[in-house]
Amino acid sequence: MIRESQTAVIARNERWSGQAATEPYEAGWASEAVIFIRALADAQGAGGTARVEISPDGMRWVPEGATFPLPVSKDEVTFARVAHFGNWLRVSSELPDGAALTVLVTFHLKA
Amino acid sequence: MDLDRSGLVQALRQADPALSRFDPLPRIIAFDDFDRGFCGWTQLVGNYEHSLDSMLPGYAQHSQAMLSTLSTWDFGSHGSFDGSYALKVASKPRVGAQNVAIKRLTFRKRGPIRLEFYFTFKPEANELRLLETDVRSIGFLYDLQSGDSDADGLRVMPHIRFLNAHDGQHMQTWQFKRRTTEVKPIGTENKTVTHYHLAPQDWEDLPGGHQKLCYNEIPTKVNWHYVRFDYDLETMRATHFQCNDRVFDLAGFDSIKIPAMRNLWCMLNLAFFVETDTDKRAFLYVDSVCLSGDF
Repeated sequence: MIRESQTAVIARNERWSGQAATEPYEAGWASEAVIFIRALADAQGAGGTARVEISPDGMRWVPEGATFPLPVSKDEVTFARVAHFGNWLRVSSELPDGAALTVLVTFHLKA
Repeated sequence: MDLDRSGLVQALRQADPALSRFDPLPRIIAFDDFDRGFCGWTQLVGNYEHSLDSMLPGYAQHSQAMLSTLSTWDFGSHGSFDGSYALKVASKPRVGAQNVAIKRLTFRKRGPIRLEFYFTFKPEANELRLLETDVRSIGFLYDLQSGDSDADGLRVMPHIRFLNAHDGQHMQTWQFKRRTTEVKPIGTENKTVTHYHLAPQDWEDLPGGHQKLCYNEIPTKVNWHYVRFDYDLETMRATHFQCNDRVFDLAGFDSIKIPAMRNLWCMLNLAFFVETDTDKRAFLYVDSVCLSGDF
């Protein structure tokens, strides 16, 4: 059997500022994920940080441990690789006061 | 025992536990068991040109479907109808939010087709209450267009939804739709248009369409329901609609009909959708789907 693989667009053309997070995504079938964040336009203000979060139930979230910078310039892409995340996965972000970023977030999942 | 070809096919299908719970027409076009992956079900992305900002807000809110084990906080994975995984379509936690999963095909014969599937729905179980009126609706639709050599150049979109609740009232009524929003051009190249066929207005009650579905007794337990919807691509008319033990009269049923579009010939799209009635995520689960045709 070929390995299941899926590209999931989790957030498209969403404007992030302050604290933000993607919608909960169930991917218990996958053993690994690469999370990409692409800036759809130049960020406003200073850059921020993204962190991967996991959850026992899709409602209560804890940091998985992986963090990575948010992209700053148009079409810049940043990413994190994660494994052993269980079932629920999301990425959250924190931007400093006055900063904002329009993103495309994709999960690339593999069994 | 003397079996003709159709009898032999039927006997083989009934001996197969996966197919035995369906009554397909002679040709199975698709049989989607989500233990085998997404089976071609993806998110319905809205039309755009030059900028994603041109996408209508109703489509911009859509996101990717999931493969779910119906994981619950209180007793773990529920599992699907006959395996681990079901297709999950989840709305955002904002009253009226919708999401859609779609499968995009074309047809090779304008004749009878049959859609059968098993579904269930629940809101996000973030309260210790029954939450039976938090999901506004779940539903399905076809997006069809005649062939490029057909005389009747039409795009036809049969829509059916189960209006579970509206503004907190438990409605439990099947509805259909015959109107979409105005078709508007997008961008500057005169190649792309858009309309919002899942707009909240213009739903009509299906006569006799009130039905109490099994919801179960806490916000995490689910039961699976059967739907069969027969449609004739030749006449572009619905011929049978059934949910569990109820068969509904389609004499008053009609579909959205708009002029054919330049790039959609022989289109056979099918979609599932979900809508929330509160600021709580609504989840539609489907397992499995059998699309068959008489050819």
